[in-house]
Formats: sequence, structure tokens, C-alpha cells
Amino acid sequence: MDYLRLFFGVIFVTNFVLAQFLGLCPFLGVSRKQSSAMGMGVAVIFVMTLASVVCHLLLRHVLTPLGLEGFLQVSVFILVIAALVQFVEMVIKKSSPGLYMALGIYLPLITTNCAVLGVAALNSANGFADPKQFGAIDGLLRATVQGAGGGVGFMLGMYLMSSIREDMEGAPYPPSLKGFPIAFVITASMALAFLGFSGML
Amino acid sequence: MTGFALLQAVLAASAEAPAGGSGPGPGAVIGWGAGVLGVLGAALGLLLYVASRAFAIKTDPKVDEILAALPGANCGGCGLAGCAAYAETLVKSGGAVNLCGPGGTAAAAKIAAILGVAFDSADRRVSVLACRGTAQFAPAKYEYSGVRDCRAAALVHDGPKACRWGCLGLGTCAAACPFGAISMGADGLAHVAEELCMACSKCVTVCPRSLFRLASEKQTVRVACASHDPGKETNRVCKVGCIACRRCEKSCKFEAIKVVENLAAIDYGKCKNCGACVKVCPRGIIVNWRAARKARKARAADSSPAQEPAEAAS
Amino acid sequence: MSFGLPTFPGGFHPPDRKAPSAGCAIAPGPMPERLAVSLAQGLGAPSRPVVAAGDRVLRGQLIAEPGGFVSAALHAPTSGQVQAIGECPHPAGLRANAIYLVPDGADQWAPGTNVPASEDAVAASKPKEIVEKVRAAGLVGMGGAAFPTHVKLSPPAGKAIDTVIVNGCECEPYLTADHRLMLERPADIVKGLRLLVRAVGAARGIIAVEANKPDAHERLLREVRGIEGLACRMVAVKYPQGAEKQLIKALLDREVPSGGLPMDIGALVQNVGTAVAVTEALYFNRPLTERVVTVSGEGLERPANLLCRIGVPYKALLAAQGVRPGARRLVSGGPMMGLAQWTADVPVLKGTSGVLVLSTPPPPDWSACINCGKCVESCPTYLMPNRLSKLGEFRRFEDMAAHHALDCIECGVCTWQCPAKRPIVHWIRQGKNELRLAKLKAEAAKKKAETPEGVLPQ
Repeated sequence: MDYLRLFFGVIFVTNFVLAQFLGLCPFLGVSRKQSSAMGMGVAVIFVMTLASVVCHLLLRHVLTPLGLEGFLQVSVFILVIAALVQFVEMVIKKSSPGLYMALGIYLPLITTNCAVLGVAALNSANGFADPKQFGAIDGLLRATVQGAGGGVGFMLGMYLMSSIREDMEGAPYPPSLKGFPIAFVITASMALAFLGFSGML
Repeated sequence: MTGFALLQAVLAASAEAPAGGSGPGPGAVIGWGAGVLGVLGAALGLLLYVASRAFAIKTDPKVDEILAALPGANCGGCGLAGCAAYAETLVKSGGAVNLCGPGGTAAAAKIAAILGVAFDSADRRVSVLACRGTAQFAPAKYEYSGVRDCRAAALVHDGPKACRWGCLGLGTCAAACPFGAISMGADGLAHVAEELCMACSKCVTVCPRSLFRLASEKQTVRVACASHDPGKETNRVCKVGCIACRRCEKSCKFEAIKVVENLAAIDYGKCKNCGACVKVCPRGIIVNWRAARKARKARAADSSPAQEPAEAAS
Repeated sequence: MSFGLPTFPGGFHPPDRKAPSAGCAIAPGPMPERLAVSLAQGLGAPSRPVVAAGDRVLRGQLIAEPGGFVSAALHAPTSGQVQAIGECPHPAGLRANAIYLVPDGADQWAPGTNVPASEDAVAASKPKEIVEKVRAAGLVGMGGAAFPTHVKLSPPAGKAIDTVIVNGCECEPYLTADHRLMLERPADIVKGLRLLVRAVGAARGIIAVEANKPDAHERLLREVRGIEGLACRMVAVKYPQGAEKQLIKALLDREVPSGGLPMDIGALVQNVGTAVAVTEALYFNRPLTERVVTVSGEGLERPANLLCRIGVPYKALLAAQGVRPGARRLVSGGPMMGLAQWTADVPVLKGTSGVLVLSTPPPPDWSACINCGKCVESCPTYLMPNRLSKLGEFRRFEDMAAHHALDCIECGVCTWQCPAKRPIVHWIRQGKNELRLAKLKAEAAKKKAETPEGVLPQ
């Protein structure tokens, strides 16, 4: 039950892109078309989940026993995430060249984007790696659920955004707002809407 | 506090974080830290190496070189799906190196060098409109109100213009041009600003009357009419339409201009841009852009590129 | 007036404007100095002339044969001499030739035509014979689209028709030709319906009349009384009740599938004028040479319902009925789906139901879609015209296909309703045309598929 709360909580209440404003770069950059937005969403879910798991395991079983988690966790997380994203990039380039072209520069930008590091750091801040608060399996499951949920929430935000932006192509808004300005206006409106979820879970 | 003292404080604090105070001392922390990072780095590096072998794709380095030479606008003007497609096709099956309008002669020269083919860099292409039928010369046959698009207007009784070959003036070409090189004049015709034109051929595809032609900048003498109607019919609907009188044909010493299907057509293999046909045409349909271009370049400081005079004869 | 009557979802109620011509009995139309019988009478391939300039022809004589399977024969509307075969402006903007015929005033029928057939012979004729006679008479749908009737009566194997509907709705404003036909020739309509039912082997036939024509409904009710399998039903007054897919939905509660035809669900719809023409062809051996045209509008002096020969130029009709000052527009058909004309030289076709002279000013300039949804509410085909108009405006034609633009019947309800005055039907028509061109281009490109992909000029 707790896991479900955690999962839906991170999708709606603490949505990474619309409530916590992390990961705005790929969110704005790839959300022009629904197809590339969904592709990016799937990539992010994969990276976030895997990054969450690996980072949690490293934190719990390597860094914490050695007492290194205080100052090394950020470096280790970034190292892991960078390697993961490179791996995902290679896989996508081979399996779906069209998607690779569509995502372009935004694929490696998952590395530097704060959402993935954010979910790893959030897991750590929630104490999942702390043996005193959660058991080994419990903590691992929570980290996985939060990671996956974060990715799903990200994809949800991207899907909604891309749908709106595709429709905006048929709307007569002032040309000076074309491109990123209108995207930010839309994001702000969506964030306001998602505020309605706060306090629900 | 000094920087070092700050560092000491941080280390001490982190050393106390694990419960029971069983954390190692600062030296051990740095040692373990370096060790962990080192091992992790090595392991991930190995993983990436293995993955790069497993997921390797063979690419011809030439494709990447050509891609770097192209502007990356993905405008589709070359006729293919994008810069990557053009680069791949060039390497795979060869072809003309100067199809990239935005890249221009610079890109064409670089591509030629990469592929090792010859290329004459003096040939820039621009788009030219084959119609002079302004609202004054070529009246409308009805008052049109509807979608402001030439392709849509052409569906309604062959367009509002009495001449069914001429420019409808609703600006579909101007909207389609990604470089802003086409503007609609007050006379109801499209005007191409040659300096901005990148010959991407979007206007060629989108005009419902197929009035645009991509021509070399050197071909200054052009027939500014596309009507294949017999002379009597053309005369009825337009004052500056080709009536196939054949005076141009008779005046040409190089047999470069012939009247084919009621319309004068120039063979640019033979045309020497002498302008003889321009002088004899009773309707002023054959136009020499050289004078107009000179005048425009002279005014280049302050005039907007869109003010290209429609009736320019040398 | 329409509560409880069968109808379809969507649609709206335009002002009727039928009063000026509703009371006018059908009168003979003018005979001009020259008739222009267009070779493109309606949908399908243009007909091929079988006469030449200088030939003398008699009324009802074959002057053009079908130009393909979906094409109809053409017969001389009166006796006279063929002056020329040349270009003629067309009400739908098609580029087609016409046979220019100069009447000699005798109006003599060709031998074998205008000869009554015995009732027994007609009653005994087999379905295939009926269809053949319909084809030989050059019948096309008289409701407007002018689809060759014999093709409609020959559904492919496996598409059985169980109900024939005769469309007496006439939902367009101003038009009253069908109304007068129903009042003045109800027996011929019922005879025609019986022939149609027999021709396709249907189980029943229904005549549909809108509730604003109670007199016609009553007359037809009397005619069908006692005849098994036939009925006359009143339907709600709403535009476009007379559109065949909407009429089938109202009467039979069946929906024609997207991209499909009424025959896919066992229905066949024909106009009352077509039913009368079938009667004329079978009972009197008269090919199609004339039709009732409503000539009306605020810009016309004397509205009337005229029995015109095919090929009468509109200017003859306008001269006969008088054009008022202030007239601005000449429309072929009804004001909703009809086409505005730029010249009065266009001729009456087999499918011309009305010639209107209107004095409405041009519409004001349109603006952006305000997303009010009025068009979505009233679309009889369950489309989203607001979305389609935006897609058309920004030239996203493939997306228009995904939103079922090809199913649009171009009835014009959305364009009428739009508060922003957007020319929605025009965008949809443009979208359909662009999709058609793209399909042709794709097919042509596929034909060149043997050459390697992306071969460039050398």
C-alpha cells in the first residue's frame, strides 16, 4: 500500500517536472511532437528507474558502510547516471535511428538534467538507504518505485505538453511568443493545474 | 574559517553520520573514497566499452564529414528528407553536390572536395516567377472571398483571375518560403528577393500554377508568362500574356527561343543573354533581369529587397 | 413542428425562404436561341459525343454515349441542328466541352421515343431490363450530384438492397422543385418507386417528406395506400435532412460506415425527380431531356418553378424571370451546397435543382477559431470542423485525413454556424484535394520504385 502511495505520489503530487521543476531542458526541447515526446519519456523512465536502483544499491551497500555517503554520493550518482545515459544512447542509436535523430542533443542531456540526479538524491534524502529506517528489500523497492514513478510522471508531463504544443500549431498567438516563450507559458499553466493535486496523498 | 578548516569540518561531520560513530578517520575516508570512485569508474568504463562494441553501427566517415559541411537546416530543398539523408545518399550513390540551397556554393565545394569530384562553384540558382499579370494587366473574373490561399482559390472555378495560368497573388508561396525571400507586392504578384533565395524549391512545389522556376543567376533573360492559351484567348484575359506572335523566334540569332504550344520558351543551352528578343516582344513579356539587378544593387543601401520592379526591360 | 419525427443527430434550421416559389405551379421554361448541352453532366467520366457540327438531331436522340462505366448517355433536349462542340463554362468549374444545339422550334421527338409502353409490358419487365432502360435513357441522380442511376441500381454481388428511399425532403432553402413535383405528379413518383424497388429486388420502398410539406405528404400517402411494401413517412424539418446518409439514419437508424456507401448497409436513395424520370423512361420511352428548376432569390423579380430543357443557359432563365437591381450573386443549386457562378453562360445540367439570384453582401473577413464548438454540435457526420479548419489553415493535410475530413459531406452547416465566419468547408475541400494529389504523387513515386531510393540528378 505504501508503495502505491509512493508511486502515485511521485507521479501527481510531487511530479518531477511540473511540481519540482526538475528536468525542464528535455521537457521543453523534445515536446514539440507527440512521437518524440513519448520516445523521450520511455528513455527517461528506463534511465530513472535503473539509476535509482543502482544508486540506491551503491549508497546502501558501499558508501554507507564506508561512511562515505555524505560527500561522495553526488559524485558517484553522476558517474553512474552518465554511464547509464551513454549506454541508453548507444542502444537507441542502434535500435531506432529515427528516434535517435528526433531526440538529437536532448538524449545526452538526460545526463546533465537534474531530474535523474534529483530522483537519486530524493531517494537518499528519504532515507531509503538508511539501515535504521528501512530494511534492505524494503528500501530497494521504495527506491525502484520512486524512480519508476518519477519517470512515469515525467512522461505524463511530456505527453500532455506535446499534445498541447501540437495543437498550438493551429492557434493564432502572437508570433513573438513562438517557440520557447509559449512553451513556458504552457508549462506554467500546467504546473498551476497540477498544484491541485497537492495535499492529496 | 579557512577553506581547509571548512573541509575538515565537512569531513568530520560526514565521518560522524553513520550511527554508532564507527566511521573511519579522514585519511581512510579519502582512501576509501578514491578507491570506490576508481573501481566504479573502471567498471562503468568497461561496461560502456563492451556496449559500444555490441551496439556498434558501421558509418562511413565520409557521411559524417559531409554532414558537418551541410548547414543542418533539414529544409528538404535538396529533395530528400533532411541533411543526413542527403549526406548518406551522396556517399551511397553519388549525385549532384550543389542541391543544398542554404549551403550554397560553399557547402557544394566542400562536399565536392570530400567526395573527390569536380565542381564549378560559380553557379548560384534562384527562383523566378513566370508571370507579369498584375491586377492592372490581368483582371479578375469574379470577386473572391474565402481561404486566403492560392491552392484553395484555384479550386473555385479555376481561380479568381481571368487568366487560368497566372499568379493568383494570395501569398501561399510567401508563407511557404522558409527564408522570407518572397513577398506579395501591391500589384498582386509574388516578388522574389534574389539575395535571400536559397533555391530550396518549396515555392516551386506549392504554387498551384507551377509558376516558379529555379534558374541559374546567369540566365538573366526570362519569359515572364506561363500561358499556353492561343493568342486570341490570352489577349482576352491579359494585356501582358504571350500571344505566340513569334517575333522573338525570328529575332534570335542563336535559335535559342522558340514558341512551343503558344508560349515562348528559351533553351538555356543556346541563350547568350543578348536581349534581342526582349526588344522585339510587343507585350514586354520577355524580361532581362540584368538591368533590374544592377539598379537594385545600386540602391542596396536603403531599399528593401522586396521592391523588385515587375516590368524591367533592358 | 418536428417533435417526435425521425431525424439524425446534428444539423440546424436555416430560414426556409420557400414562400416565394412554393405556390408556383410548374411552368414551361424558356427556349433560348442556343442550348449548351454539357458533356460533363455530373459525377463520373464525361460523355463522348456521337454527333458532329452540322448534324440535325431530334429530341431524345442519342448525342453522346457514356465515357466509361460511371458515365451516362446524353440525349438532344429538343430538335435542331448541332452548331458546334466546344468549350463551355461549367457550374462546377470543370473544364468540359458542350454540344451547342440550335433549336428549330419543332420540338420533334426521335422515332421510338415518346411512345407509351403498355402497362402489362412494364409490369412484366425484369429487373435487368429496367436497369438497362434506365441506362439507355441517360438517367442520373436529379438531387444534385448527378450520379449515373444505372450504376447505383447495379450494386456489386454481395451488396443486397432491402430498402429503397425516395427523397422528397428538399431541405435546402429556396428550392421548391421537388415539392411541386410531389404535389403535381404523385402517381408518377409512386410508379417510379415501384420500378426502383423491382429493379434492385428490395423488400420495401419509402418516400420521405419533410414536415414542412404536409400537402405533399398527404397526396403521396393517398397514392401509396393499399400498395404492399410502400410507405410515405414524414421526417423532421432540419438541414441537411435530404442528404442521403442522414436520411438513411433518420428512417432506418443505420449508419453508412466511414468511407462506405449506402449499399453497404442495404439502402438505396433516389430523388423524387429521378423517380419521375424512371417512370418517363419506362412508361413513355422518354430519355432525360428536361427537369424542374426552381428559379428564385431576393434578386429575382418573378420566382418560379420552371420545366427547363437540359442545356438552357442561366442567362435565358434570368432574362425570363427578371433580375432586380441590387442582385449580387448567381448560385447554382441551393444556398448551402450550391456553387456561386461568375458567368450566366453556364447551362442547366441534369442535376441543377435551382438557380438563385441572391443579394446578400460578401461575408466579412474571417478571424481565428474561438473554439465555441457550435460546429461540432451541429455536424451531421460527427466530425470536428473546428479542428479541421485549423489543420487546413496551417496546411496539415495528413492530420486532416486522420480526423476524417474525407467523410465530410460538405453540407455547410459548420460554416453557417461559425461566429468567426471561417470558411470551414473551403478548407475541407482544399484538404480533400491536397490528399488526392498527394495520393497520386505517392503512386507515381511508387511506380519509379525500381530505381534506388533517393537517386539524385547527376
